Amino acid sequence: MSTAHEHLPADKRQLLGRAVRLQWVSIGIMAVVITGVGLVAGQSQAMRTALAEDTLALLPPMVFLVGVWRTRRPRNAKHPWGHHRAVGAGHLVASAALLVMGASLVWNGGSGLVLGERPPIGIVAFAGRTMWAGWLMIVVMALAMVPPIILGRLKLKYAEPLHDKVLTADADMLKADWMTGLATIAGVTGIGFGLWWADSAAAVVVAVSILHDGFKNMRQAVRDLLDGRATPVDSDEPHPLNEELWRIATHTPWVADAAVRMRDMGHVFHAEVFVVPTTSPTLEAVEDLTARLRASDWKTEDTVVVLTSEVPADIAGRSRPAG
Amino acid sequence: MVIIRVLSALLLVVLMAGCSEPGFPKDPDGTLLRATGGELRAGLSPNEPHTSAEVAIIEDWAATIESEVVWTEGAESELFELLKLGELDVVVGGLASDSPWSTHGAMTRPYGEVIGPDGKQRKLVLATRLGENALLVSLERFLVEEGLQP
Repeated sequence: MSTAHEHLPADKRQLLGRAVRLQWVSIGIMAVVITGVGLVAGQSQAMRTALAEDTLALLPPMVFLVGVWRTRRPRNAKHPWGHHRAVGAGHLVASAALLVMGASLVWNGGSGLVLGERPPIGIVAFAGRTMWAGWLMIVVMALAMVPPIILGRLKLKYAEPLHDKVLTADADMLKADWMTGLATIAGVTGIGFGLWWADSAAAVVVAVSILHDGFKNMRQAVRDLLDGRATPVDSDEPHPLNEELWRIATHTPWVADAAVRMRDMGHVFHAEVFVVPTTSPTLEAVEDLTARLRASDWKTEDTVVVLTSEVPADIAGRSRPAG
Repeated sequence: MVIIRVLSALLLVVLMAGCSEPGFPKDPDGTLLRATGGELRAGLSPNEPHTSAEVAIIEDWAATIESEVVWTEGAESELFELLKLGELDVVVGGLASDSPWSTHGAMTRPYGEVIGPDGKQRKLVLATRLGENALLVSLERFLVEEGLQP
């Protein structure tokens, strides 16, 4: 995939290229894992549910690739803010996938517990030898856990430098994936010891954590799409650039007061800096301030300065550091 | 990575537990233990020509665990309700592997094949009580040892 991301500095463009490659590799590996689990699943309803949930894990890499492809397009008259929101939309889709996965686990595990369903696990015969099918499930799930653990850690390394929230949701999804695998191993082992409820109970336990991640990502995605104050990836705190822009503006000699509002467009921010001048500044002075604000970070390329006689009090409060 | 090490340790423990078979897997209600040297409660829903062979299979298997089979004859629906309630241990009735009764009983691996009324191949199975996995595994091992498979 060519990287015509003109809004990105060269090193970030390179990083994005590597993240894209990682996502293609990730889709390939997960497809192999899903096929493997599918071959072992057979008639087992529990394993089939695990399979459906694994398939959901393909969604975040896909929306990441679609989002990156879309954000490559430059801004123009029809799309004056560019196409960065594709990342935010991807974050929303990825968080919905997490929620569906968590809900599915709660539903299946919960109904299994309430209805007292006792999962039957028989034997598998292989080359004249037989073994309990539970062993095969445990081995396959243990193997299937390795790729999500490694891929999730790799993806988190890209999330912060690229300011990509789809990657954090993706990493949460992979965490959900290997935790479900661990729950299946614990559950099947429990069944082996005659605890019929072990599999359902283990599913409900991990589902709580998955739902928590799902709600967290959904809340953050909706906040960003509703133009909430920009935050770092996987955080509710104001992004440090809020304060940084305010500091640059207020440290300018001709500026008496300033207020910043900054929203996350996806990868990059859109910021408006309201400044109250002490005297009438020259056009050069205003343009110099704008240039310095834009140069403070690659994410603040789309920053405008608004001259005003009074900062808008309703937005000023929290972007200003205490004291 | 720590997680991988913990996992392999876990796997080792689990595989070591596997050497202690046949105590593993266990029945939640201990059906196999109870039937061994005791009574096996079997349901029969006549469905010839399959059920004569199936009754023989159950009798032969019961002999290997020194169990005496007590047969209850009835309709499939009635027998599966009893199986679900735990008042029967196994049910035979010329059942196919795609039988809708899998909500009420655990279907064994297929022991034979038959052409259904729609001309499609159907796999013949027996049913055991849901979740009594030691019982299921014991019967399935018997089927494999006797070479009873399609």
